[in-house]
Amino acid sequence: MSILNKKQIQYIIFGVIAVLLPILTQAKGSTITLLASIGITAIATLGFNVLLGFSGQISLGHGAFMGLGAYISAYFVSQMELPFFLSLALAAIIPFLVGFILGLIALRLEGHYLAIATLGFAVVIEEIFAELSEFTGGWSGTKTTYPIIFGHKFDKLSVYILIIIILVILMILTYNFMKSATGRALVAMKKSEHAAQAMGVSLFKYKLLAFSISTMYAGIAGSLYIHFFRFAEPKLWGITLSLDLLAAAVIGGLGTIGGAVVGVAFLKVLPTVLQMLPVFGDFDGLAFVLTGVAIVVFVMFYPRGLINIPNDLYHKFFKRKRAENEEVKA
Amino acid sequence: MMNSVLKVENLSISFGGLKAVDDLSFEIGDKMIYGLIGPNGAGKTTVFNCITKFYTPNSGKVTFKTNTGEQINLLEHSVHQIINYGLARTFQNVELINDLSIIDNLLIGAHSQYKTSALQQAFLTPRARREEKEHRGRAMDILNQLGLADKANEIAGSQPYGVLKNVELARTLMSRPKLIIIDEPAAGLNETETEALAEMIKKIRDYYHCAVLMVEHDMGLVMSTCERICAINFGKKLAEGTPDEIKQNKEVQEAYLGKDDDDAEN
Repeated sequence: MSILNKKQIQYIIFGVIAVLLPILTQAKGSTITLLASIGITAIATLGFNVLLGFSGQISLGHGAFMGLGAYISAYFVSQMELPFFLSLALAAIIPFLVGFILGLIALRLEGHYLAIATLGFAVVIEEIFAELSEFTGGWSGTKTTYPIIFGHKFDKLSVYILIIIILVILMILTYNFMKSATGRALVAMKKSEHAAQAMGVSLFKYKLLAFSISTMYAGIAGSLYIHFFRFAEPKLWGITLSLDLLAAAVIGGLGTIGGAVVGVAFLKVLPTVLQMLPVFGDFDGLAFVLTGVAIVVFVMFYPRGLINIPNDLYHKFFKRKRAENEEVKA
Repeated sequence: MMNSVLKVENLSISFGGLKAVDDLSFEIGDKMIYGLIGPNGAGKTTVFNCITKFYTPNSGKVTFKTNTGEQINLLEHSVHQIINYGLARTFQNVELINDLSIIDNLLIGAHSQYKTSALQQAFLTPRARREEKEHRGRAMDILNQLGLADKANEIAGSQPYGVLKNVELARTLMSRPKLIIIDEPAAGLNETETEALAEMIKKIRDYYHCAVLMVEHDMGLVMSTCERICAINFGKKLAEGTPDEIKQNKEVQEAYLGKDDDDAEN
């Protein structure tokens, strides 16, 4: 049992299940699309969680960084004919550097300037995506192919598997990172800036690090997006996507690894379920409204997020004693 | 000229015309337990915050003898660098990370000691593992020394205030300090806890060979632990000396204990 308690092993088991599920059930193409879309968004949300959940900073422009990763990857694969993995690496590194530079400017100021700066960045870059048509295809969008890796041409299912593998690797790396000295410094900074500073944590440096890392994850997610959907247009990367990442992180459970996946799954499956309902299915944009409602509900009533529900229920019903102890202390 | 670890010279800071600290000078010898006392609002915590660079004083000099024996002016460094030189502090209202276990809180105190990069830590390279293990071991040693070992894996937020105060003290030790600055250690503790605290502070000094500077209201604690005391009022020094000298000092008695020599503390 003890090996199953290791988080890294749990993430790998999750990955194996996620890969086997569509294969064993011989899922339809649309199901794989949904699952892949969850996996891709989960990668970006994982990065968003490093920023918001661990270091307490907020960004309203992460969608733009995903777009950046997508266009970079498509450009290098289709135009420059670079190998897929090299393009993926560039789609991680360049957003990382752009995030670093943006952070250098925005994080000098205390308070919520990062949110404002990233929002501004998102608005500007959407225009740039539209205007820079040689690079992005402008408003009409850009196309690319499924990746070719070591001469092997991928198809829909194998790209999905690749997405899950990368997701699991990033989950494990993020977990290790969060349990390390650097991760603790981020948590300390979120909970008490004074304590963090007194312990030698440079607030600026660590905020910058968390932000750059999260933009890197967004870039990776963007690269995988365009190589799965093989098409991208500027309006995909706007505020709606950025807010979806924020919503998924909050609903799933801030500061948790699994929460990123659960939160995204909730947001992606919700509209599909709604469409199947008789009356609700006819409302356009209902899912968008419910996302907003869900954020409010979770922030107000259950800030620990979806991921902690099973654990909390378990403690509530099977470990009454502990709960009672806590009540006494409260 | 004594062998001092911290030397504060002519320190002044004012907030909107109010002089919180006014031309204050004092000196702390190596491995000395030093007390800074004064009535409410005398500027004690402000002095602390100036030394640790949470505030930037208007003038003055704070010379600190670092781990390597170098003399540096702390005022020329930023707040997060101070601990690297061997000066660690606690806070009046206990600034621990409530969601983390006690041992993880101690490891945050070791932050300045980590040498591996974030990337090495994410990939769990052998060096990163070794380093983490080393600091975890040190944290357990310190918890053992302070009698907190059985609480290592408890969540900090679930512990009583008295324990948290001790954990915060333990956290400072993780940085291998030459001087620990303690802000009102006895605040919120009962008499028994305060006595235990006095023992602990002495033990920390003897075992970890560091000097201690404390700001304190509780005269009992100050008189029984400190070797030298500086009394201030309205940001100015009233007197400095041994506990007995301070007790005898008329000005201190007037400022601190009230004019009519009654027994009112605080």
